[in-house]
Amino acid sequence: MADRNIIEIRNLTKIYDLGAIQVPALKGLNFEIEEGSYTAIMGPSGSGKSTLLNILGCLDRPTAGAYILGNDDVAHMSDKELSGVRGARIGFIFQSYNLIQQLNVIENIHVPLFYQGKDISDYYDHCEKLAQKVGLGDRLDHRPMELSGGQQQRVAVARSLVNEPLMLLADEPTGNLDSTTEQEILDILDELHAEGRTLLVVTHDDAVAERASRVIHLKDGQVDKDIRKQDSDRKSENQFQEA
Amino acid sequence: MPGFSILRLIQVGFRSLRLHKLRSALTMLGMIIGVWAVILLVAIGEGASREAQEAIKALGAQNVIIRSIKPISDKVQLQGEMQWESIYGLKNSDAVRIEKTVPGVKRVLPILRHRKNVTHEQRDKDCQLIGTFPHYPQFTQSRLVAGQFLNEMEEARKENACVLTMSLAGFLFPGKNPLGQEVIVRGRESHQIFRVKGILEERADSEKLPQQADATGHTILANVYIPLSTFKALYGIKDIDLSVGSISVNTVELSEIRVEFGSVDEVVPALPLIREALDKVRKDKVDYEIQVPINELNALKAQKARDTWLLMLIACISLLVGGIGIMNIMLATVTERTQEIGVRRALGATQIDISVQFLVETLILCLIGGTIGVLGGCGNAAFFHYILHHTTIVTEWSVIAAFGLSVGVGLTFGLYPAWSAARLDPIEALRHA
Ligand SMILES: Nc1ncnc2c1ncn2[C@@H]1O[C@H](COP(=O)(O)OP(=O)(O)OP(=O)(O)O)[C@@H](O)[C@H]1O
Ligand SMILES: [Mg+2]
Repeated sequence: MADRNIIEIRNLTKIYDLGAIQVPALKGLNFEIEEGSYTAIMGPSGSGKSTLLNILGCLDRPTAGAYILGNDDVAHMSDKELSGVRGARIGFIFQSYNLIQQLNVIENIHVPLFYQGKDISDYYDHCEKLAQKVGLGDRLDHRPMELSGGQQQRVAVARSLVNEPLMLLADEPTGNLDSTTEQEILDILDELHAEGRTLLVVTHDDAVAERASRVIHLKDGQVDKDIRKQDSDRKSENQFQEA
Repeated sequence: MPGFSILRLIQVGFRSLRLHKLRSALTMLGMIIGVWAVILLVAIGEGASREAQEAIKALGAQNVIIRSIKPISDKVQLQGEMQWESIYGLKNSDAVRIEKTVPGVKRVLPILRHRKNVTHEQRDKDCQLIGTFPHYPQFTQSRLVAGQFLNEMEEARKENACVLTMSLAGFLFPGKNPLGQEVIVRGRESHQIFRVKGILEERADSEKLPQQADATGHTILANVYIPLSTFKALYGIKDIDLSVGSISVNTVELSEIRVEFGSVDEVVPALPLIREALDKVRKDKVDYEIQVPINELNALKAQKARDTWLLMLIACISLLVGGIGIMNIMLATVTERTQEIGVRRALGATQIDISVQFLVETLILCLIGGTIGVLGGCGNAAFFHYILHHTTIVTEWSVIAAFGLSVGVGLTFGLYPAWSAARLDPIEALRHA
């Protein structure tokens, strides 16, 4: 593994202020994510997985603590700056695919380019290659409605790659898929990992976690276990190995 | 934002609107109807006003027209109950006095009219027999189509020469050359033969004027012009009107005096002097009226300015209603597309990007609606004009204003939905089902 850290979080805290009560969702997390790693985040419902992923994806800001993405402190950026970071450095894959219905496959892949002010005509080949990579080279002009869930998620994967992001974030990427399709998507993620991309996947599913090189377990907004596996024993998770 | 982004935004805007074709069409309808109505109403108003202005101009802006009118209680009973005579109206001496005493007067034109039946072979027509001076055509800006108008010699010798209006000539002499032919003007006592020496085309627009009604309220476009001296010699100045069971005789020396001034500016200051010249010989008897085309023209223009403001107000109200409809739909659209907004935000869209996207969609709706409205309004106006022969004039400013207003409405009413879309929290928006 490369040793450069892509993410560093220090004492990361998130408290939802509901007026009458305050809900602490994250209670001072500390960890790093290295470049090229494949990390699964697991934990019971309500443990703060999505909250963490939203902050790491710059969709939300922490209440306290530091978040260094690349070399920048993004914890205190403005909305506009965060939008730029999301578009340029982060690739999102959502549980419900979240394609834009009125656009076809290739246009959906284009969207992040557009918000980076890039001229789409310069990137047509690039986008087509990405579509081919996820196995949809022959569906470029199909609308999301005409695709299966698995195919839609492939489009979402291609879309997340279009701006060459620092890392990919996925919240339950296979949550809506049957097991065969799930395997196909996970194979694509493996392939991306093999290419050296950094992956961070929130999941309930052991099948997903099995493929990751590191599993962070959250519980009540804190890191419960942080398990790193050697490439050799990736498929046989050791429950007792702790960080 | 670079040019390709704007093109892209417009393209994507169209896609989103096409996704709900019926809804987009209905949303545009308010704008279409508003703009359509503005263009059409302005075109109709403009057409009517232009027509009236032309008609008044045909009377001559530097002219004043004095007409004899019958005073209400001025009947002298003759020979029993059923015969009446009224003596009133303008006289030759009035014309002479005006020409001599009122400054700025270039010339005057006396006109005497009676209704007479005119025949040629089997054809006959109720006409207006007009006795007047040789300078009638120049005075009224009428065009001589064929032959000559009456001349001084015929006036001096009281000759039986006549000039017909074009429509009358066409009616009496179908397929024949009327010049040199004869027509018979039937009177009560005698029938007189007149030689046709010319054909006159009254200025087209003045024919459309509701011609000053004669005693019976008829408007007669068939005119026969003869020398004034001949008129008086043959028919006198008594016009006999046979109504049901009674005879009334109107003794009027001149039906009308037209006064031409050297310039338009001299008209209005001279009006009191004309009145003075006429009233000098009258004892509180009002037996004339003065028509001042220039005043009518000005009044018409002022009226038109008021009408224009009223139309603009109606236009603004209808576009306002259209705009509110559009805002309503755009707000619903923002709610409906909350998740899409969240996705776009996650993929790097800034708040500005989101608001511009929705603003562009609103503008597209307004511009398409505006364009359809303009085309529809223009087409409708053309239909009125060419098919229904109802004069309409589509003015540039109404098209520009209608377009400008629809863009304005789009910007105004698109701003709030766009802002409410931009203000959504990305996470909340993403979670929205
Ligand atoms: N917008 C919010 N307002 C208030 N509290 C919230 C909000 N979002 C999350 N929480 C709370 O924060 C805690 C962590 O929620 P989070 O969604 O991160 O859990 P999770 O681990 O993703 O759960 P799941 O596995 O069910 O998706 C929960 O107690 C939740 O109730
Ligand atoms: Mg969650």
